[in-house]
Amino acid sequence: MRLSLYVPGNSWVHRLDPLTKLIMAVVAVILVFVLPGYWASAALLAVSLGVLASGGVLRRSVPVFLGVSLIAITFFVVQGLVYPGNQHPALTLGPVTFYQEGLLLGLKLSLRLYNILAATLVLILLTNPSDLVESLVRRGVPSRFGYVVVAVLQMIPNMAATTGTIMDAQRSRGMETEGSLWTRMRAFIPLMGPLVTSSLIATEERALALEVRGFSGNRKPTFLHEEVIPPYAWAVRALYLAALILAIAGRWIG
Amino acid sequence: MTVIEVENLRYRYPQQAEPALDGVSFSVQQGEFIGIIGPNRSGKSTLCQALVGLVPHFYKGAIGGKVMVAGLDVHQHQVWEVCQRVGLVFQSPFTQMSGAKFTVYDEVAFGLENQGVARDEMVRRIERVLRLLGLWEYRDRNPFALSGGQMQRLAIASVLALEPEVLVLDEPTSQLDPAGTSEVFAAVSDLCRQGMTVVMAEHKVDRIAARADRVLVLHEGKSIAFGPPRQVFAREDLPALGVAIPPVTEVCRRLGWQLPDGTYPVTVAEAVQMGGAARGNHNS
Amino acid sequence: MATITVENLHFHYTPGVPVLRGITLSIQPGTVAIIGQNGAGKSTFVRLLNGLLKPVEGYVQVDGVDTRSVSVATMARSVGLVFQNPGDQLFKSRVLDEVMFGPLNLKWPEEKARERALAALRQVGLEGVEEKNPYDLGLAERKLVTVAGILAMDTPVVVLDEPTIAQDRDGVLRLGEVVTSLRQEGRTVITITHDMDFVARYFERVLVFQNGRVLLDGTAPEVFSRADILSAAGLEPPQIAQLSMALGMNPPALTVEEFVELMQQRT
Repeated sequence: MRLSLYVPGNSWVHRLDPLTKLIMAVVAVILVFVLPGYWASAALLAVSLGVLASGGVLRRSVPVFLGVSLIAITFFVVQGLVYPGNQHPALTLGPVTFYQEGLLLGLKLSLRLYNILAATLVLILLTNPSDLVESLVRRGVPSRFGYVVVAVLQMIPNMAATTGTIMDAQRSRGMETEGSLWTRMRAFIPLMGPLVTSSLIATEERALALEVRGFSGNRKPTFLHEEVIPPYAWAVRALYLAALILAIAGRWIG
Repeated sequence: MTVIEVENLRYRYPQQAEPALDGVSFSVQQGEFIGIIGPNRSGKSTLCQALVGLVPHFYKGAIGGKVMVAGLDVHQHQVWEVCQRVGLVFQSPFTQMSGAKFTVYDEVAFGLENQGVARDEMVRRIERVLRLLGLWEYRDRNPFALSGGQMQRLAIASVLALEPEVLVLDEPTSQLDPAGTSEVFAAVSDLCRQGMTVVMAEHKVDRIAARADRVLVLHEGKSIAFGPPRQVFAREDLPALGVAIPPVTEVCRRLGWQLPDGTYPVTVAEAVQMGGAARGNHNS
Repeated sequence: MATITVENLHFHYTPGVPVLRGITLSIQPGTVAIIGQNGAGKSTFVRLLNGLLKPVEGYVQVDGVDTRSVSVATMARSVGLVFQNPGDQLFKSRVLDEVMFGPLNLKWPEEKARERALAALRQVGLEGVEEKNPYDLGLAERKLVTVAGILAMDTPVVVLDEPTIAQDRDGVLRLGEVVTSLRQEGRTVITITHDMDFVARYFERVLVFQNGRVLLDGTAPEVFSRADILSAAGLEPPQIAQLSMALGMNPPALTVEEFVELMQQRT
């Protein structure tokens, strides 16, 4: 059990190496701010959604998109009502008037929001976090840093389980955990104390166990699994980087 | 061939007034199974960790004396260097799982990757140790989904993959049930038969008495006895010092069921033989 | 004092994966040891005794009170459960405060709580450490602090989950003395343990758990003479029992003293 939203699969996206997917996500987020106009933004969104679809996770992403739609609606409402550049009315509902300029700005902001979300979902849903970390460690990120990131993913669910045991132990000593907010707040310290100390002790014990497996030797690590970079990955990287360069150049010239 | 040589080892943890080890000396031959027993706080864990260099390198503190293991002067080398020749297995199976790997197979690789072992060699070693510890069929499972005994065997496998000459175990069965305990003792005995030198700190003196070649008794940081189990457990002063002895040995002492060399049986089998003989004497 | 009645107890954490498969028994004041492999359901069973878990089928009554009808905090007045890992409950910086936590939760006046806490610390042999930080004590002594924490609550039933792990000879002796004195006070002492010598010396009744069922329920001599059943449960009789049976003694002696006495009687 670990803390990760990764959805395993065998699509062309899954078979891309993690670094390529990282490039895709980072470039897409930068493009969001560089691309002019609505059509370009919409096109970028369509591309990201297409990637998610071919990874088989589009359906899974829907709740996330719905979740941020509240923010998107806020953009429309707020900008539509009170954007300083508002001039031409678009829609009147009783006493309130929404203006064209504000609504269009709301659209632009919403597109940005959804684009950033779609880009990062490619990374979160379609990339195995430990593969991503290993990919970075291969390229020079200190392996100790990589270890911390990956271990935390497994340790958090473990700590959640420990919390359950701690709560049981304190309840068995007569501590009330249900009831008023005040009751539950009072229960906080008897729960947090043991969680913190047992986590610290476990950390020290684990550090010792890691030491005897060579963790702090400063040798260049080797890797059990080979990194497989499919040939088309280079094409994908080139495509995204080219789009980025073109967009920046276009902005500069135009 | 002497594989471990400890000379007048003294060690004090930082911020402690009393030394944890106070002049311990002993030597171990290759292929021996050495048991370390003694009451809590007698220095068993400290000694185990001193054999791989965690004491003093991890804790700092004040150290004196000499520790030579597998040809290395432990104080002159870093822990990761010593751990290429000496493995250490700890008490808690859970905290020995790295947490960075999601299958039993990859977990064994953790130490190998750190030590920069080549991939082909890694694959060979992982299979060897997993089969040795009876874990090959579980290689795709998540380490945290194993039972306590299996997890502890995985910890042993992970350390063995580094191909040490000496294996040190610090109370490895204290959190295991009887079946798990037997698994660990059986695995360790097998390794010993294949030439590994084993040092194990334990409270379960009956099992140590049955399997160890020699037993080292620690008390308040000092070594008070070192010899074959029967010799050590024949000593009169152990209970007063808080050192446990096998129940059958206590029984034989009280009944005067003594072996020709002046010691008492330390296993059930030996005691049964004596008991049979004793009853035979009475019946005749 | 308290009688525990368990009737057709079934339990699972996830449906379809039964953990306890129909246990019926009753426990009178005295000492009971629960032994069995890990995964047999022992820890789950004792958590059903103090209400942390509620039965899926069947019921558990402590002195006539059904565990489903009251909160865990209320059950804590009758059944005290000492958890296996002291680190899962220690949180005060003074031993005395830690041991007083339970009594204060039971709404006792401070004076009474302090008195009971000091008495409990004496009972486990830890007088003199009241002002210390529990983490300045060794692991074994921290365990004794948690035992004191439950003793201070004066519950008629005391449950010890693996109390002898990591204890040395003196620690085990001290725990044994605690068990004996609780028994003499007429309480019910239940322990989960893997230490057969500890069971043999201090416990009158033994329950062998296997796969969610009680495989064997009897006095210690009865249970330890059934080496075949114990073996099916992944267990072994204590050394002295093995020795006794190999020499033809049935029922077997369980402790050093018993064996010596029996042997001397034969001569």
